[in-house]
Amino acid sequence: MHIHAYEKLWLAASVMLILLLVGSVTYGAIGPGVAMVADSEPTIDAGGLDEDERFSEPRVEQVGENEYEAYVVSFQFGFQPDPIVVPENSTVTFYVTSRDVIHGFEVAGTNANTMVVPGEVSEIKVEVEEPQEYGLICNEYCGAGHHAMEGKVNVVSQAEYEDRTSGGDSE
Amino acid sequence: MSEAIEAERTFYDKFPKEARIVRAAFLSSFLALILGAIFGIIQTLHRTDVARIIPSTDYYTVLTAHGVFLVISFTIFFLVGLFTWAVVRSLDRPLLNTKITWTWYALMAVGMTMTGVSILAGFTDAIDMSADVLFTFYAPLQAHPLFYTGLAVFIVGSWIAGADWFRTWLAWKRENPDERIPLQTFMVLTTMAMWYIASSAVAASVLIFLLPWSLGLIDQVNPTLTRTLFWFFGHPVVYFWLMPAYMLWYTVLPKIAGGRLFSDPLARVVFVLFLLLSTPVGIHHQYLDPGIAEGFKFISMTNTMFLLLPSLLTAFTVVASVEYGARQRGGSGLLGWLTDLPWRKPEFTGMMLAGLMFAAGGFSGMVNAGMNINYMIHNTIWVPGHFHLTVGTAVALTFMAATYWIWPQITNKPIYSRTIGLVQVVVWFIGMALMSNAMHAQGIMGVPRRTAEPEYSGFEYATMFGGFEELNIQIAIGGTLLFVSTVLFIGNLVLTMGNPKVSGLADPLPPALSGPNDSPKVLDNLRLWVGIALTLVVLAYALPLAAIIQRGGLLGPGVGTYPVWLSPALDALANTAVSAFGAVGDASASLVEVIR
Amino acid sequence: MGRNETAHASADDVSGDTEEFDPIGTLTLIGIYFVILVLAWVYIYYIEFLGRDLVVVG
Repeated sequence: MHIHAYEKLWLAASVMLILLLVGSVTYGAIGPGVAMVADSEPTIDAGGLDEDERFSEPRVEQVGENEYEAYVVSFQFGFQPDPIVVPENSTVTFYVTSRDVIHGFEVAGTNANTMVVPGEVSEIKVEVEEPQEYGLICNEYCGAGHHAMEGKVNVVSQAEYEDRTSGGDSE
Repeated sequence: MSEAIEAERTFYDKFPKEARIVRAAFLSSFLALILGAIFGIIQTLHRTDVARIIPSTDYYTVLTAHGVFLVISFTIFFLVGLFTWAVVRSLDRPLLNTKITWTWYALMAVGMTMTGVSILAGFTDAIDMSADVLFTFYAPLQAHPLFYTGLAVFIVGSWIAGADWFRTWLAWKRENPDERIPLQTFMVLTTMAMWYIASSAVAASVLIFLLPWSLGLIDQVNPTLTRTLFWFFGHPVVYFWLMPAYMLWYTVLPKIAGGRLFSDPLARVVFVLFLLLSTPVGIHHQYLDPGIAEGFKFISMTNTMFLLLPSLLTAFTVVASVEYGARQRGGSGLLGWLTDLPWRKPEFTGMMLAGLMFAAGGFSGMVNAGMNINYMIHNTIWVPGHFHLTVGTAVALTFMAATYWIWPQITNKPIYSRTIGLVQVVVWFIGMALMSNAMHAQGIMGVPRRTAEPEYSGFEYATMFGGFEELNIQIAIGGTLLFVSTVLFIGNLVLTMGNPKVSGLADPLPPALSGPNDSPKVLDNLRLWVGIALTLVVLAYALPLAAIIQRGGLLGPGVGTYPVWLSPALDALANTAVSAFGAVGDASASLVEVIR
Repeated sequence: MGRNETAHASADDVSGDTEEFDPIGTLTLIGIYFVILVLAWVYIYYIEFLGRDLVVVG
């Protein structure tokens, strides 16, 4: 089979491009340590979240020094807790599940983004820095009120966070 | 060359029965195009808050209709017409039995009508029927059974169409035992082989799970499983839309440019690669799904990246064929030949602009494929920005442009106005450039796709490449231009139908510069390629599917049912109540009773 | 010609090896495309993606 020399050159360049792409993604996983949401969590009874230890009471919990876990329930059409309040300069692991249909969990303008599938728990760990208010949106169509489904992720100062947690039972 | 006699006979002259079928398929396709365009403009202006003429709850009916009518009806009806033309033309023999042909056409038309009715019923409360589940129909949102039934009937119709072409080819093979498969027929057969593999999964998902579930025969489904089966089909289907455009770029565009295909063997290699690699990649749509291991996602990514190869090769071969045409027309210089191309022909300019857009779409596609970078753009409007470049321009604009060339061949009627045609393809290009560019930019800002109102009360989007509002205006102007372009296309075609029949429109296609006998015979061994394709699919999907079923069970880990078939406001209320009381199964069963 | 053209074509038309056509313009265009792709990828992956807030690390 006859292939023109220029075409062979282009084929080689194309393979190099593909290697660059796969290489970049691999670098992202190994260097900065970007991890994919995956099957780390067992399945859960979407109809029985009320009896679940973590999701019957959606909340943020401290689990170590500067380490927090946020148990988030998404539903038609909102998120709980809302807002999700976490302290600055900490590591936060979100555990997100749905009690009805498929939703999205996207902290707008950031890389914190995952599908939320009923029966599954999405686990994503991020590091938050300065105090900042982020928008939280559902980015998967979930029914007629989908566009109204939003929440907030508020990164607050340590002092404010302590105020909130010690100040009342509401959090 | 002995083309003098041939040149007097068009496809219509030689195969009037087949030409009628091709016309019928094209007309069904264009009907879907105009409907899809109407929903498109409503949606664009609604989303960008330029004009909200419908309640936001109806936006999702519009979105479902726009998606299904354009990517299922418009594209697939066009391609069955085109493939019928291509098989008959390149084998130079009629179909075996046009009764069978009309049967599959009727099945597809009936199936699409059923699905279309179930979607459009979502606009009225008078009928308790809706399919506001979007083109992706993810469970546990549940459409009316008519929606799933129609899709199944449509897909069965497309399977019979494939069988029709395979039979015609086998008959030809008996008559011409020692010949290579003509290129266009080769392209049709490899594409259909890919389609059989790909569509089997969605057919299984619909027939085993979704349809029985919507009829109340089973209580629940596994959302991850049905999603995975959808994307098993959902990625190769984009190549199903794209392959007919590739066929036109490889076999028709070089001729229009005044040349011929650069390399027949490479064209075959490319189609074989698509057959092999289109399917074992669907998990790249599920990079951000919980319940699927990272390793499976990585495998899917490498497969996807290698799927770039046939497209990159195509870019070279097609541009080289066009350059050859320009050189034949006296073009010279490193790039000076570009001015020697027939830019006044709408079929040429349309296809070239479509190809240019596809090159841009190639880049956003690489980002989509890049596993972890998916965090940045997953389910943002970046993604529709991408596929409006690919299916929305590379495919749609190529089909429209090709119509200006092929329609006279199948009707003996010249196009009403080729100038309007030229304006039409350019307007499409400009409209899509504006709209798609702004969609990509908004996507990077985090603006979600699939939403009636992308503005939120609690926060503002960061500004980049222009603010949110400014980009909205670009999207609205772009969308409006696309609608105008569609109207020009349809108007021109309607006026063309009023033209009298003339003779002398025939425009036969030349053979390739490097012909089929340059390619190894093994390329034509379809059994071998289908065997390898199936093996790759098993390797890519057996373990993920087994893991998903092991985790959640065939029918899922206790997930409820959320029918969208009540009127939207009630629907939302009903769902909230239902989920609160956990009496989901009973509710759906009683809903089924109501419907019956 | 015209009948089964791709199938019959070879004999008289594959003089390809003798009068080679060198698509140098194509090579130039596609070379430019390649450079754009690489630069755009490096920008979007390393600056836009890895540079933004809340990188998922687990």
